[in-house]
Amino acid sequence: MPDNGAVLSEKALAERFGAVVLPHLGDALALARWLTGNAADAEDVVQEACLKAHAGIAGYAGGNARAWLLTIVRNTAYSWMSRNRPRGTIAVGDLGDLDEMAAAHGAGLPDDNGLEASLIAKADTAALGAAIAALAQPFRETLVLRDINGLSYREIAAMLGVPIGTVMSRLARARGLLVSELGRAP
Amino acid sequence: MTGHDDGLPNDPEGIRLMIHALVDGELDAAAALAVERRIAADPALAAEHARIVALQAAVSRLPRPDVSDAFRARIAAIGMAGIEQQAPAESAEPQRGASPALPRLIAGAGGGQRRETGTRPFQTRPSSKTRLFGSFDWRALAASIVISAVLASGATQWLMFNGASDSFAAAVASGHRRSLLAASPIDIVSSDRHTVKPWLDARIGVSPPAPDLAQDGYALIGGRVEVIADRPVPALVYRHREHLITLVAEPQQGGSVSQPEDLSSGGFSLVHWSDGAFSYWAISDMERPELDDFVARFRKAAV
Repeated sequence: MPDNGAVLSEKALAERFGAVVLPHLGDALALARWLTGNAADAEDVVQEACLKAHAGIAGYAGGNARAWLLTIVRNTAYSWMSRNRPRGTIAVGDLGDLDEMAAAHGAGLPDDNGLEASLIAKADTAALGAAIAALAQPFRETLVLRDINGLSYREIAAMLGVPIGTVMSRLARARGLLVSELGRAP
Repeated sequence: MTGHDDGLPNDPEGIRLMIHALVDGELDAAAALAVERRIAADPALAAEHARIVALQAAVSRLPRPDVSDAFRARIAAIGMAGIEQQAPAESAEPQRGASPALPRLIAGAGGGQRRETGTRPFQTRPSSKTRLFGSFDWRALAASIVISAVLASGATQWLMFNGASDSFAAAVASGHRRSLLAASPIDIVSSDRHTVKPWLDARIGVSPPAPDLAQDGYALIGGRVEVIADRPVPALVYRHREHLITLVAEPQQGGSVSQPEDLSSGGFSLVHWSDGAFSYWAISDMERPELDDFVARFRKAAV
């Protein structure tokens, strides 16, 4: 039915969905995996997020498609976890005290110059994965969005609804924790 | 840690954040230079810098979840559901798309719990659009990109009457002009091609060769994404004394190899050539001989 405008428009939306969502499934799964903690839940979360993305695709106004999808994935992951693991989740949006805590600790992080970069570079995958999983949620999501999904500070700040300075201090704190964790003798 | 007059924070925590920002390619050229100087002068900062770089490399080596074919097919089916339905009302309210068709698709995909999760969004549909975008104003974030796209497509339309190659050249020229007027001519500031290439890769999935020609007097200072003829294309920015050179690299598929060709006009020197993989457009307000020298050195280094 090439003359049917409605069908064409649906087709255009479907094409947009294909162009905007499908190329970033790997990133979406990676984010969901680190937020939920396992790969099976990640698929459920990403699938639900893609349904929401499909419903909202007409409102996608251009720009970084990956950040757009990841924003939906993140929000979906938290609502999914609050539904399926009511006890395990923390209230997002009430992180002020966590940031204060981080600021208090951040300055006191030992400047361990004996810890060589080469040791970190050789860190084994399982130890690094466990260290990331052990990070508190706000630190973990900031680190994953930056170092695994490759978003900019600005994009992360917009996604989390926090100032750029908060993104920077959470990221520095997250990396500091990982560095000291990986440097610890087994 | 006192007596620095470079505009950087002087407290240890502040300078630490700046080192992270440097590694992440978030600093403009002046700040990046200042932080690099601090690092060079202070072994403790240099060690911190090395640790951050090493950690980032280790994290990037973590295995990424596989996107299985079955999963990809399931998600692709979500996109196709709207077409199968063919309801004329859908186009008026596209965000409602496909709702009745989808639970069927999802039901085949997993157990009972999964089905319930999958259908949940539709039960809350009336407010889903507001909720999706309420906390995150995409239009604001994307505004600059959209403006570039509008400008570029405007330039393209204007030049529809000329040849395709001319219109691309004009778009390259207007992109370069615009960059000189903008607050910063670059989106990713780094003299390190190992930062610039991944940044471009992550944004648009392609990155051209980005040799640093600092020894030859052409320092790589960063990159940006140009939108030309409705397509995002990578652009590298080099500096030669006070002049900026924008090098737009349009990916080619099975393209031909062509020698540098002079397309200069309107006060700018513009040289175009291609190497099969990319079609290059180098533009600057330098004199032609100097730009030719840059082109020759780039082509030699990019091989």
